[in-house]
Order: sequence, then C-alpha cells, then structure tokens
Amino acid sequence: MGVTAETVKELEQKQEWWWAAEKKRSKRLDYLRKAMWKKGAIGGLYPAGLYIDLERPVLQTEKAKELESSPDPYVIKFAKMLAHVLDNKTIFITDHSQLVGYLGSHPNMITWDPTLAAILNHEVVNDPTAIPQPVEENLKIISEVVSYWGGKSDLDKILPHMDLDDSMKVLSGAIGWGVPLSRGGYSGKDYEYIMTGVRAFEDVIAELDRRIDEADARAHEPGATREICDLYDKMNMWEAMKITLEAGIRHARRYARLARIIAENFETDTERRVELLQIAETCERVPAKPARTLQESLQYDLFIQLFSRNEAIEGAWPARPDYYHGPYYEQEVNIDKTLTEQEALDLTGEFLIRAAEVSQYKPKWSREGLQGIEGTWVWTLGGVNKDGSDACNGMTIALLQAARLVRVANPTFAFRWHPKVKDEVMREIFECIRQGLGYPSMRNDPILIANAMNWHGHPIEEARTWAHQACMSPSPCTKHGFQPMRMANATANCAKIIEYVFTSGFDNIVNMQIGAETPLAEAFTSYEQFFDAWVTQMKTIFSILVRPVNRARMLAPKMTPRPFLSAISERSVESGLDVCDPSISRGNAWITAFTWVENADSLAAVKKLVFDEKKYTMADLTGALAANWEGKEEMRLDFVKNAPKWGNDDDYVDSIMLDCLHEAARFSRELKCPSGNNWPILPENVSGNIHYANIVGALPNGRRLGDALYDGGISPGPGLDKKGPTAVLKSCSKIDHISDGRAFLLNQRLSPIQLAGEKGYQLWKSYMKTWADLGLDHVQFNCVSDETLRSAQRDPEKYQEVIVRVAGYSAHFVDISRKTQDNIIQRTVQGLA
Amino acid sequence: MPTCKQCKKFFPLEDNPNKGDCVQRVIDPRQTYYKAKSVDAESDAAKCSEFEKK
Repeated sequence: MGVTAETVKELEQKQEWWWAAEKKRSKRLDYLRKAMWKKGAIGGLYPAGLYIDLERPVLQTEKAKELESSPDPYVIKFAKMLAHVLDNKTIFITDHSQLVGYLGSHPNMITWDPTLAAILNHEVVNDPTAIPQPVEENLKIISEVVSYWGGKSDLDKILPHMDLDDSMKVLSGAIGWGVPLSRGGYSGKDYEYIMTGVRAFEDVIAELDRRIDEADARAHEPGATREICDLYDKMNMWEAMKITLEAGIRHARRYARLARIIAENFETDTERRVELLQIAETCERVPAKPARTLQESLQYDLFIQLFSRNEAIEGAWPARPDYYHGPYYEQEVNIDKTLTEQEALDLTGEFLIRAAEVSQYKPKWSREGLQGIEGTWVWTLGGVNKDGSDACNGMTIALLQAARLVRVANPTFAFRWHPKVKDEVMREIFECIRQGLGYPSMRNDPILIANAMNWHGHPIEEARTWAHQACMSPSPCTKHGFQPMRMANATANCAKIIEYVFTSGFDNIVNMQIGAETPLAEAFTSYEQFFDAWVTQMKTIFSILVRPVNRARMLAPKMTPRPFLSAISERSVESGLDVCDPSISRGNAWITAFTWVENADSLAAVKKLVFDEKKYTMADLTGALAANWEGKEEMRLDFVKNAPKWGNDDDYVDSIMLDCLHEAARFSRELKCPSGNNWPILPENVSGNIHYANIVGALPNGRRLGDALYDGGISPGPGLDKKGPTAVLKSCSKIDHISDGRAFLLNQRLSPIQLAGEKGYQLWKSYMKTWADLGLDHVQFNCVSDETLRSAQRDPEKYQEVIVRVAGYSAHFVDISRKTQDNIIQRTVQGLA
Repeated sequence: MPTCKQCKKFFPLEDNPNKGDCVQRVIDPRQTYYKAKSVDAESDAAKCSEFEKK
C-alpha cells in the first residue's frame, strides 16, 4: 500500500475519500486509474486531448464501397463491415493491464460511426475541438466519409417511412429526446443465454451451422410455401450472425497474439511477462469458449460489450455483474483459492476502469443531457435468484469495494434491496454512499419484481433476473423478456404538458403547434376543465413520442438489423429473426418522464390560487406566464410560497400528483408497443432539468424560462421539501409503486457529518427500513457537504475527483455545468432523526 | 523501396506471412502501451516515420 495507515485514516477523517482511495489501492489500480482518459463531455464539448477516431469510419466506408456491387443482402454486408473493422482496427494493451479491449484505435480516441445518421455526421464536421491533427487533412477524410453516408445512414433510410409530422415534432427537441434508431439507443442482453457459462461463441456458431443446413435442405425439398420463402431470409440472418461471431473470435485472438509478441520480444520484467501470457491464454479462450476463471469471465463480458458497441451506439450498459461473474469469484477465491481477494479486487477494479473508458461520438444534445459522463452505465447488483433466494455473493462485495478504490463516475451501481440482504452487504453499500460516490442507488426488489409482472406480464422467474436498462428501468435478462432496443425519443419533457395547457398546444420556444389545440386557458371556468386539458396534452405528447419508436421498431429488422446482438440472443438464434423483431419479444417499453413533478406543483397552484381562493383569474395567470412573470414578481412569489408543494406530506398537492399518475397509467395501457405490450411512464431526469431549462417556458409553480427545472423523478423541487425526510417519503409512498408507473426516481441529500461512524450507519439503516416499509421503489443519495461542493466550485483543480449524484447517474462535480452544480447544492440536506 | 516486412516492428502471421502486425510502443500523456495494426508485408514503408530496418 506504500503509506502508513495513519495517513489514510487522517484523510478519511477529513472525508477526503478520493485521496484516501489513491493511497489504499494497489499500484496496478493506481496506475490504471490515472492512465484512464475520462470521456464525459464538459459543457457539451469533449475535454482537451480527446479526438474523434477516423480509423473506424474509414474502414467502414472502404468496405461499404467494396461491397456495393456485391449481391449480398444488406444484413450480410453489414456483418462484413463489422468484421472488417474488428479484423483491421488498431488494438493496444496498456501497461499493467490484465483486461484488454477498447472501441477506438488509441486510448484518447472517441469512435464515430458514420452509418447511423447524417445529422450526427454533420456534427463531426462542425466539432473543431475534437478533430485530430492535422486538421485540414483530416477534414478532407471526414468530408469524404460524410458525403458517402449521406442518404445511406440508418436515419436517412428510415425517415421516409415515418410520419413526417411526428418526426418534425420529435426532432424539434421540445418535447422529447433522441431519434428512433435500433442502433442508436441501447440494448439489454440475453445474459441468461450467453453469460451463464453454458455456451460461448463456438457453441452458437455450431448451432447456427446446424440451422442453416437444416433450412437449406428444407428449402430445396419439393414444394413451395410461405415458410420456405421465409427461410431464405432466415438463412441470410443466420449467416450474418455467424460472420460477426467469427470476427469476434478473430479479434480476441489478435489481442492474444499482441500479448505474446510483447512478452516474447519486448517485456523484460518476468512478472509482467507472465501476466501477458495470461492475457494471451485468456483471449485465446474467450469468447470462443466458455470462461473458466474470473479473469476469463470478465474478459468475455468486456468483449461482448465492445462488439455490441461496434455494432451500435449504446448509451447505456444494462448488466448484472455480480450475478454472472459471482460463480467464478466463488470458485477461485473461496473454493479453489487460486485467486486471492486482493487479486480479485484488482481485476474487478480494472473491469470498472475498462468500462469507464468506453466512448462513442454522440450528438451535442445528448452530451448536454448527460453532463460529465458517456452514458448511463448503471450496473445492477444484489437482488434475488430465480428461486427467490438472496443472490448476493463475494463479487457483490468486491464490486462495492473496488468502486471505492477506483472512484469512477461511470459505471455506477444500483442495488436490488430485499429483506434477505445480509448486514455485511448493507455496510459495504453504506460505505459507498457515505464516501460520496452517489451510488449505489437503492431499488426495492420485491416491489419492482411485482411491477414487472404487473406492467409487462413477465413471469416471476424471469422478472427476478431483471437488470437496469439505463438509470432506472428494469427488464429481465431472458430469452423473450430482454429488451433489444431502446430509443431515447420515448423520453418526454413532461413540463411541456402543463405549459401547453396555457398555449393551446403551441410551442413558443420552437414556434410550432406541437400539442393538442385545447381551448384557450382563459376560458376554463373550473379546475376540472383545466385538468381535462392537461390530460389531453399528456396523451398527445406521449403519443407523438411513442408512434415513431413503434414504427422504427417495426422497420428495424429489415432496415437497421443487429446481427451481432441477434447472435447472442437465444430467440434470434432459434428463429432466424433479427433480435428487434417484435414477434419474438414480450415487450418492455416505457416512457421516461422528465420534468414530471412540475405538473403536480403547477396544477396545485392553479387549483388553490385560481379556482379555490379565486385570488387570480385564468386570464391573469395566462398573461403572467406569457410575460415570463415579468412585472409580476409579487404574484410569482405567491405561486411559489403560498401554493402547496409536492414532498411535504400534504394531501392537497399529493392527491393531484396521484390524479396525474393515474391518468398516465390508464393511458399507458392504451399505448401499445409492436409486441402488444404497455408503455408505462417512468419519472426520472438525468440532467434534463438543466438541458430543458431554456426550452420550457414559464410555469404556474413560479418557475421562469431559463430557471433550472426540478431534479426529477418524484423528487420534490430543490428547497421546496420543508418538512423533513419522513414527509418526503410519506408523499412518495402515496404512489402505488407497482401499478402507478414503471419506477419513480427519488433524490435525497444527506449530511456527511451525520452519517459518520456506526451511529451514521444505524441512522441510514433506519431510514432505509422506513423507505422499504413504505413501499418506495427507488432512492439515491448525495452525501457531499455544501462546504466541499462550494470549495470545488472555487478551486476545481483541487477537487477533480469529487463525485456527485446528478439524477439517474453520478458524475465528477467539476465536469458538470455551473447551473447543475448549483442545482445540486440547492437540494435540501435532510437531517435523519 | 523499404517494405513493412523489412521493419523490426513487423510481426508476420504464422499462417499467412504476407500479412502481419506493426507493433509499436506508445507513450501518451496518461499511459504507456503497445499497439498493433494489421499491415501487408509488402506495403510501402518509405514514408513511415516509425520504420526501423531489421
């Protein structure tokens, strides 16, 4: 460890956890952590030293041109393009590393996939800080690539098949987020098929060969049927899957070869030479064959994640690492004793670092909405096994300990709490929270399993395998239950619902009629009329967002296929259909409801001050909002201070919140995904509350255009929860967390001083018991003092490693905007009693 | 004309000596690593700043 225990202790006493971690971790982890190029954008721009990688787009484009005259169907051409990249991209092995693999050609390169969307490609051209030197020469390369893919990218191909009116409203950026692309969102994985150690790539290839042979024989038997016609497509799909798996095996073996070359020709250190040969053996084994050791298991997982991200931009990382790697940990550390706890911790910490490095070029709106991170890599820990027993294991603890040592902001963890979780695990979780990581977030497993069964009809054994798809939403990791695509444009900027009630659906920011043309707000004579208009706007906005996603999902199998993801999915290997084909998926859609609570607070303010007390008319209010409250400060403060606010256990406003949720839940069952399943809402925010600050107009809760929105989910507005943590929990507990929506994010700030020592743990545990007893499904904590955060604002260089929970994710405090920083500081610090 | 196969950094594939890896040591501001790029043995290395004759 290199330093005296006292020094570490002193740092811990001062709650300088980041410096203590630096001294506690192994030399290897220290090197690898400091070697890491942080990829999260700051203020929407990539940090200095990071550049767009041009190797991949050049490889893709040269292969696409070569295949132009090929008779291959598109899915096979696409698979060959992917294979060409994996066979030819530059690979590297970092000193001291034991795990290998990265998307780009160099550690500071951000990969750009030009095949996705012309609008993304044009951002590359106009992103001067990220274009590598020599700029002029590289701009020529970029121009050639951009020009080639114009009209050929996924989005260009599917847009003509979408409803233009819906598309324009979505792309306006006012009500939703993202574009409907199967290769442009993120995907769950069929971990139950590919990560249980039963099979690996060679086994799947053998299965694909068998299916191709059978289909080929069947297709040439006497007779002609629709089924035979379908076989032609299936054989092509199986062939494409096989191409990607074989390329994956070859790619891994390139690493094996490089490791051997280094060991045999360059490396002089005997210990490192042994490690390099171990890397070589690992990469010769996986992903071709099932893993045998923890190192092989982690490497296998890493390869799968990287191949999937070579196929698509994935803005999230659904995973359950303790569940799937745990058996290897137990075998090696506790049974065979071939690996020490320290060695396992090193591998686990490095696994987090390897994930933290992953980067893909994304549009600026996405970078602004996910300040400081690359995507929401929220990994799921804990939970139960399929039989309902506790699934925590040694790997659960190793991951929690490793997180405190490497202190990356991404991936973060979300812990599936249930009554059988042991105290030793709870203490490890608490240490992560107390040490200011902002994670794990806590999820109520029994509630969420019931929720998955209620909303999507997942059988209980499958529901118990759930993993977070991004920040919040659960989905099983099973054959029919896992979710192959998630497109961010089913993300609703819900504050627009209440805003449009006052504008009859006209959006004054983007100058478009987006919402429904409900009657003029001045004409409403009762709260009921006013609320009916709110329901109409809610239904209109949700429908505009859901329709393009449904349509894109139906177009995806043919127009934007995913042969690699299909190859690691049982349902596709079995059926020969693309993984996104709705006919083989149960469906697990949801609408992410950004900026939701503003609706309840605004409706309550209107009900009380306009309709109950008749202090103002609807005309007064409509005029004040149109003027952005200018000249109406006294009236505005009345709406802020004298209207009830969510989070204070006040039935007046809490019942309005329930009315809104019940209407949304009713409508969620009318909205159907192409698999025929429901679209429940899920209130949460990432950093959308800042992104949308200049997009949402003035609201009746007293907010002005430009003010930060609430931090999201069902979290009360910052500083508006004045009655303590129990009142917050009680308000939130009035929601039925099984049937009122898919999940509900709750941010809480706790005092690090109060959480010190054993007493702090007992206070937190008692809070968690109340939370669980009240049936909430989620809570997450910021536990960094105002003093530290203000110091970090004054002197960012000294506080580079301070992490905070933003909303559904964590970020380094210095990497988020000043507005977001202030918004976090404004959140009420709850004193636990 | 120098070719890749004449370079110290070229490591031919066992099953296809016409192809191989160009293996280089890289030191960037944060880390040190070895990288490998697929190359053809007969590729022109005249303009390669990394070329080192065997």
